[in-house]
Amino acid sequence: MIEEKEKRGLTISLCIPTLNEEKTIGKEVVLFKSELVDRYPLLDEIAVIDSGSTDRTIEVAASFGASVYLSADILPHMGFKRGKGENLWKAIYQLQGDIIVYVDADIKNIHPRFVYGLVAPLIYRPEIKYVKAFYDRPLALSKEIRPSGGGRVTEILVRPLFSLFFPELTAIIQPLSGEYAVRREILERIPFPVGYGVETSHLIDVYDGWGIEAFAQTDLDKRVHRHQATRDLGKMSFGILRTFLKRLKSKGIIKDLPELTPFLRQFQAREDHYEQIIHEIVEEERPPMIEVPEYRAKRGLE
Amino acid sequence: MSANLVETENFEQIRDRVRKLPFELERYRELLLANVIMLGEIPAPTFHEQERIHLLEQRFNECGLQNCSIDEKGNGAAIIPGTRGDTTILLTAHADTPFPASLDHTLTLEPDRIVGPGIADNSLGIAVLATLPTMLEGLGIRLSSDILLMGAVKSLNEGNQEGLRFFLSNAERPITAALAVEGVQLGRLNYRSRASLGGEIACVADNAHEEVSALDVLNQIIYRLRKIHLPQESETRLILGYIEGGVTYKTPARKARLKFQLSSDSDQTIIDITEKIDSVIHELSKEYRVSIDFNIIARTRYGGLDPQHFLVLQARRVLTTLGIHPGSNAYSSVISGFVENEIPAMCVGITTGENLNYPDERIDISPIMKGVAQLIGLLLSIDGGCCAGHQ
Repeated sequence: MIEEKEKRGLTISLCIPTLNEEKTIGKEVVLFKSELVDRYPLLDEIAVIDSGSTDRTIEVAASFGASVYLSADILPHMGFKRGKGENLWKAIYQLQGDIIVYVDADIKNIHPRFVYGLVAPLIYRPEIKYVKAFYDRPLALSKEIRPSGGGRVTEILVRPLFSLFFPELTAIIQPLSGEYAVRREILERIPFPVGYGVETSHLIDVYDGWGIEAFAQTDLDKRVHRHQATRDLGKMSFGILRTFLKRLKSKGIIKDLPELTPFLRQFQAREDHYEQIIHEIVEEERPPMIEVPEYRAKRGLE
Repeated sequence: MSANLVETENFEQIRDRVRKLPFELERYRELLLANVIMLGEIPAPTFHEQERIHLLEQRFNECGLQNCSIDEKGNGAAIIPGTRGDTTILLTAHADTPFPASLDHTLTLEPDRIVGPGIADNSLGIAVLATLPTMLEGLGIRLSSDILLMGAVKSLNEGNQEGLRFFLSNAERPITAALAVEGVQLGRLNYRSRASLGGEIACVADNAHEEVSALDVLNQIIYRLRKIHLPQESETRLILGYIEGGVTYKTPARKARLKFQLSSDSDQTIIDITEKIDSVIHELSKEYRVSIDFNIIARTRYGGLDPQHFLVLQARRVLTTLGIHPGSNAYSSVISGFVENEIPAMCVGITTGENLNYPDERIDISPIMKGVAQLIGLLLSIDGGCCAGHQ
């Protein structure tokens, strides 16, 4: 694979977006650096892009040899928006690779396959632009561990929406997986919601621009991560739905849409009464990076 | 020039080299940690170590070692060729852990420690084996002896060191000396083995005919075992380590089981006491009309190196040079397999750690390279001829 990568003159960057991931980031950095930089030189760069962790994430990642960037320090004049999508977007500016691999930082059973499994289709098949991970159910099931594959938000929200509006995208087994590898030429041309909707919007935009043929999927076996509370999944669903509706409107699939509120209302029980909690979930979007003058200058684009 | 003077000069050279090693080894920290994680996250309960051994073997192959192979018991071995290759030093670590495959084997890497089942016993040890060839090559250290690296299977508890024993009794090349690597504790220096017997007594009562509880029978067995005289001159000890029985508090237990260890400084004492245990069981099974089985699950033999053996003295010097305080306990069951095959052997630990054999087992990262340095120092010492005998 490395021979083929070198033959094609490709460079590959790994981006790990973080926010308070001190428990898992060290292992990811050590494994990827040792196995995929030192032992097998598949990766040219490992970068952690942090949203402002208050734990030891930055210290741990740096101590094990990752390049660590604060999201707020990248393109500072464009401001800082809190959200994973912001880090992924800024990685396009900061990192050098022709291919960027995104791997979440909260994976307990991290393994080099999370990277080599994703980049292989891009190395061997020039027509592939975007490679998405999917997983089997983890063997170790406990109160803390749940399968990422076919997760609740995927099955209850995203898959029904794709079935209704983009049937071909239902071929993507795990549309919300946080692990994917993409060619720069694609990444720089798509907008990035900064929050929960980033993966969903990617799929719609890449499908719209390059067709279903641009996608490949890799079976990464198992992914074990922290279980998320149902209330948090509600927030995620809200963000995804807002992004999705916005895409439907911008593509003319639906025409009339009222102004969408950024407020999600949930209830929680306290002693003998219920109280309402209001979350403000703003799904802002970053423009395609290729429209940013600093990026064009940095990459020498006319 | 006298032999002692030559040895002193050799040691001075080795000591100078060893002193610098922890610093030089730091650049291999990530490589070693990655191997610890990759090997340690593969469950390897005793008798089911194949997948872990396959990765070890893959690592040996990647390092370009010679004779990479997995034997019929499942041990994984390879050779780092020496410049002369007329002698062989065995470096071994057991691959198995006491945890079932169903347990989550995910390890957590923190800046200063690693936490997870089996990390100390013995994922770190096996990872050192996997990483050492790269370290030695990078440091430009090449011994005149061949180094035979071997990940041993079926070691713990009922495994009774089956993998190591098989390997040693079928080794085609004579082994000059052996080093066994354990994850913890740094400073351990075991070179002797006590005679011991691991036993299991299983009692089955047939409650269709009698309301006898297997627990009552087991209680009687324990009472009688405690009555057996344990000779103090041979420091004979009986440890009752594990007991289980019954299914509910409402009915007499149908089955009960006890595991114990008998240890002594005399092989004959173990034989004598084993006969007494046999007769206790025979009597009680007749008295209570129940079935009682006595199985031997592990055995070790008394013996090993003398405290004044050059290898022991040199090992103490190597540890002291690195600022490691050598422990006072010379005994470990790990040494027994070597005693049986008359191979001078020593067991060392790589780092400090705690919660051994619990799921939250942990090891400290910062002392690891000192532990690896001690290992290289011992290899250099053995290669330099310090296995010759007594001072």
